[in-house]
Amino acid sequence: MKTASALNTYLKETGGWVAAQLEACTRCGICAEACHFYQALGNPEYAPVWKLEPLRRAYEQRFTLAGKLKLALGMEKRLTDSDLEHWSQIVYEACTVCDKCAFVCPMGIEIGPLIHKVRTGLAAAGLVPGNLAEATDKQKTIGSPLGVTDEMWRERIDWITDEWEADIPVDKAGAETLMVFTSIELMKFPDNLAFIAKILTQAGENWTVSSKGREVVNFGFFEADEELTRLFMHRVFQAAEELGVKRIVISECGHAYEAFRWTAANIMKVPPGLEIIHITELIHQYWKSGRIKIKEGAFDGETITFHDSCKIQRLGGLINQPREILQVLAPTSFKEMTPNKEQSMCCGGGGGVISIKEADSNRYAVFEMKLEQLQDIQAQGVCMTCSNCRLQFVDSLAHFNSTIKVHSLAELVAKALI
Amino acid sequence: MDWTEILRFSRGPLFHFSLIIFIAGMIYRLVRIIFLGWEKDRVKNQGSKWSGVIISYLKGLIILPFIPWVRRTFRNNALTFIAGGLFHLSLFLVLIFGEAHILVWQSLFGVSWAPLPNPIVDWLAAVGIISLIILLINRLTHPVLRLLTKLPVWINWTLVFLPFVTGYIMYHHLWFPYEVIFSLHLIFVCLLLIWIPFSRMSHFLFYFFSRTIHGARAGKRAVSP
Amino acid sequence: MKEKSIYEHLKEKGLSRRDFIKLCGTIAGMMGLEFAPPVKALGKMVHPDPTEMVAKALSSQPKLPIVWLEFQDCAGCSEAMSRSSSPLLSKLVLNDLAIEYHETLMASAGYQAEKAKEECLKDYYGRYVLVVEGSPTLAEDGIYCTVAGKSNLDLLREAADGAAAIIATGNCASFGGIPKAKPNPTRACGVGEIIKDKPVVNIPGCPAIPEVTTGTILHFLIMGKLPETDHLKRPLVFYGHTVHDHCLRRPFYEAGKFADNFDGDRARKGYCLYHLGCKGPITYNACASLKWERGLSYPVQSGHPCLGCSEPNFWDGGGFYQGQSAALIPPAAKTSALAAGAGLAAGSTLAGINSAKKNRAKKALASAAENSPTDSTTAAPPEKKEE
Repeated sequence: MKTASALNTYLKETGGWVAAQLEACTRCGICAEACHFYQALGNPEYAPVWKLEPLRRAYEQRFTLAGKLKLALGMEKRLTDSDLEHWSQIVYEACTVCDKCAFVCPMGIEIGPLIHKVRTGLAAAGLVPGNLAEATDKQKTIGSPLGVTDEMWRERIDWITDEWEADIPVDKAGAETLMVFTSIELMKFPDNLAFIAKILTQAGENWTVSSKGREVVNFGFFEADEELTRLFMHRVFQAAEELGVKRIVISECGHAYEAFRWTAANIMKVPPGLEIIHITELIHQYWKSGRIKIKEGAFDGETITFHDSCKIQRLGGLINQPREILQVLAPTSFKEMTPNKEQSMCCGGGGGVISIKEADSNRYAVFEMKLEQLQDIQAQGVCMTCSNCRLQFVDSLAHFNSTIKVHSLAELVAKALI
Repeated sequence: MDWTEILRFSRGPLFHFSLIIFIAGMIYRLVRIIFLGWEKDRVKNQGSKWSGVIISYLKGLIILPFIPWVRRTFRNNALTFIAGGLFHLSLFLVLIFGEAHILVWQSLFGVSWAPLPNPIVDWLAAVGIISLIILLINRLTHPVLRLLTKLPVWINWTLVFLPFVTGYIMYHHLWFPYEVIFSLHLIFVCLLLIWIPFSRMSHFLFYFFSRTIHGARAGKRAVSP
Repeated sequence: MKEKSIYEHLKEKGLSRRDFIKLCGTIAGMMGLEFAPPVKALGKMVHPDPTEMVAKALSSQPKLPIVWLEFQDCAGCSEAMSRSSSPLLSKLVLNDLAIEYHETLMASAGYQAEKAKEECLKDYYGRYVLVVEGSPTLAEDGIYCTVAGKSNLDLLREAADGAAAIIATGNCASFGGIPKAKPNPTRACGVGEIIKDKPVVNIPGCPAIPEVTTGTILHFLIMGKLPETDHLKRPLVFYGHTVHDHCLRRPFYEAGKFADNFDGDRARKGYCLYHLGCKGPITYNACASLKWERGLSYPVQSGHPCLGCSEPNFWDGGGFYQGQSAALIPPAAKTSALAAGAGLAAGSTLAGINSAKKNRAKKALASAAENSPTDSTTAAPPEKKEE
C-alpha cells in the first residue's frame, strides 16, 4: 500500500523534466564530492544520486523497456516498503535539499528538486520521520510547527513590543506590506522580530503582520507533501488578500522563500499582482535608496563572515546584497569563508533535518566541517539571513563549545541604524 | 576465417545496420521522453534564463572538466574531473579530426575537412585510453561508484574502451594483421552504436537537456550556474 | 638415360662457371633466400650459403616441366611475365630452367599444340608444375570457358591430376578475380576451390608480380616444395607485409599529410594517397619492396592509390577511390528517414502508454485522497492553477 502510493506519486511527478535528467546521469559519482553529508560521514548511500534511486527505479521499471528488461533478468528489484523506509532515512535525515550537487554535476542535473520529488513520494507513502511528521501536523492543526497557538502568538508579539520597544502593527487595514515571520524567530530569536520591525519603521514602511497568515515556515515543503505545501501558503495568501496588501515580505527563512517565491506560482493560485520579496532584498533596497542609513564600520574590528544559505543565496540569488551591506558594516574585518557564494557548504540543518532527532549526529558531523571553515579564517562572528541556519549554528556551536557569535543580517543592520 | 570478408561485412552491412538501429533508437529514446509532458514555468524571473544557459554550457564545457582546482570540493576528485574531461576531449578530436574517421564522415555526409596530423591524433588516443583506465580504477575503488556501478555501466566502459584500444593497435600495426584489428575495431564500434540508444551512453544527447535546465534555473534565480 | 641437369644445359649454351654462380646468387635473392633454412652438418646446425644451395640444386636437378593453362583471364599475367622488369630472369626461368606448355606463348597452335600438351602431361606425369592463369568457372559445368571443345573444369582436373604442385597466378586464378565480380554469372572461383588434393599456392595480383611468380617456380625447383604460405595460401616471402608497411609515402601518412585530390598541390608534393582510397594498409603484396619494371616504380609511387588487387574480392570492396575506412553502404536518406520514423512511432507509442499509466496513477492518488478522512481543522486545500 505504501509502495503503491509512492509509486503512483513518482509516476505522476515524472514528466519530461524528470525523465530527461534521470537519463542524463552518467553514474560518475561526482555529486558525492559536493554533498556535505557524504563528505562528513563517508556513507556512500548519502551520495546525492543514490538518493534518487526510488524515483529512478519507479521511472525505469514502469516507463522504460530497459527497466522492464532489468526486472525480467533479475538485475533489479521492485521497490518494496522496506526499501522506501530505508530511503526515508537517507532522504530526510541526510539531505538538506541544498542543491549544491546540481552545481557540481558535470551534466547539470538538478538533483535537489529531484530529491524533493523523492520526498513527495515518501510523504505520500506516509514514511516521513516521526519528528518531522509531528511538527507538520502541528502546523496543520495549530498553525505553527512549534505549536504556537493564536493566543501564544499574540502574547509573544505583545511581549516583544514591550521588551524591545518595537512597533509591530497587527492586522492593520490599508497596509501595503505584509511581513510574515517564522515561529523559530518568534520563539527562539524574538529579538529578530524587533530588529526587523525597527528597520521597517525606520524606513517608513506601511506594514503589518497578520494573525491569520502568521507562519511563513512551510513544513509541508520540508516533507514535500504538495497538498500541505499549498495549504500552508494558502493561509498567508488568504491573509494578504483580506488585508489587501501589495507585497509579502518573507522573513529570514530559506525554505519559505523557496516555497513562496519560486514554487507557489507553479502549484497554486497566487493573488495577482502580489509581490513576494525576501527581507534581505528589502533591507538592501532601503539602504540603496537611502530610506535607511547605516553607520559605516559599526562592527569593524570583529572578524565577521557571511554564511550563504542554500535557499536564499545559492538558489535565491541574494548573494551580493548582504555582502554589500556587510562590507559597509565591517569594511576591514569582513572575511569570506571558502567555499562561498553558490558553492558554499550548507549549514546541515535545513530541509527539515534539524527537526528530526535521529538526524542530530548527522547534523553535528556536517557542522564540524562548517566549523573548520569558520576557524580557518578565525571568525569571531558569522552573519546569515536564514533562521533555520541560525538555529543550526547556535545549537551546533554550543555543542562544540565554540564562542563564535551568530548574527542575523537584520540584527546587524538594526544595530547600526543611524 | 577470412578476415578480409569480415572486414568488408563490418564496413558494409554491419555498419549500415548499426547506424539504422542507432538512429531509430535515439529518436525512440528522445520522443519517449519529450512526450512525457513538460510543465510550464509561471514563476517570475529574477535574472535572465538565457544568460544562465550560456554560462551553464561554458562552465560545463571548460571549467568543470579542466579546471577543477578552482573549487575546494572538486579537489577531492580532481583526477576524475581531469580524466573525464580529457577522455571526452580525446574522443571528440580523434573522432572528428582523425584522417580515417574523416573518410567515414565523408562517406556518410559527403563533406570532408583537414585532418589533424596523425602523431597528434595518436597522442590524443593514448590520452583517451589512459583516461579510461584511470576512470576504471576510480570506479573500482571509489565507494560511491562501487555502489552505483551495475552491469550496464561495465558494458558501457568496455564498449568504449575496445574501439579506442583496437584503433590504437591498428594505427601502430601491433600484434594483429591490419585487417583483423580493423575488423575488430569496426565490430566494436558497431556494437557501441547499437548499445548507445539503450544505455546511459545516450547522455551525449540528454546533456543538452540537463545543462539547459540547470542553466535556465540558475539564470532565472540570478546565480551563476 | 639420366636427364641433363640445368647446369649442363647452361654450360652447353656457353655460360661460364663464374656467370653460373652469379646467376645462382641472383636467383637466391629473388627467392628471398637471404637466410637459407638451417641444416644439420657435422652434428651442429649451420646456415648454408644460399648461393651454394642454389648452385647445388641447379647442378643436380633436371629442367622443371611447366604446364601453363589459361581460363577466364586477360593474359595480363603472361604479358607481365613476358615484359618483366628482368627479362633475363623470366627468360632464364621459362627458357633455360624449365620446359613448358603455354597456350598463349608457344609457337604452335591448334591440334599441334594440343598434342604437345598431351605428351607433356604424359611424359612428365607426377613431376610437372601446373601454373593456372585465369579463373575456372563452375556454372553449367564450365561451358563458359572451353578450349578445343573441353570445358575448363575438365582441362583443369586433367592437368591437375599429374601435377606435382599447382601455382595459381593472378587474382583470377587465386580467388576468382574480376570474373568473380558481382553478380558473377559464370560462377568464377579460385583454383583452390576446385582442386583440393594437390598443393596449391596462390600468387594473387592484377597482374601478379612476374618476379613473384618466377620466384615461386624457382623455389619449387630448388627446394623441391612450395614455399610457406599464409592463410590465403600466398607465399609468405612475398605476401608477408602490406603495401603500406614498406610504402614510400608512409612518412606522409605518419605526419598526417594527405593528398585530397589527384591534381592538387598536395598530390604533386607526393603526399599519402590514403584519402584518395589507397588500400595499402590492408593489402598484402610485395609491390612496395620489389616494385615493377626493374624496380622503377609501383602504383602508389606513380601517384595512384593501391587497389588492393592481391586481396580476394577486391573488385567488390567499395570504390577504388573511396577511403578504406569509409562506410561501404552509407544509409540512404530514405532509409534514415524510415529508421527515424520507426523510432518516432515506437517512442510515441510508449509515450502514449506511459501517459495512460500516469493518468491512472493520478486517479488512484485522487481517489485515495478522497477516501481518507478530511480534517475539519484545516481549510480546504486550494486547487492547482489550471490554464
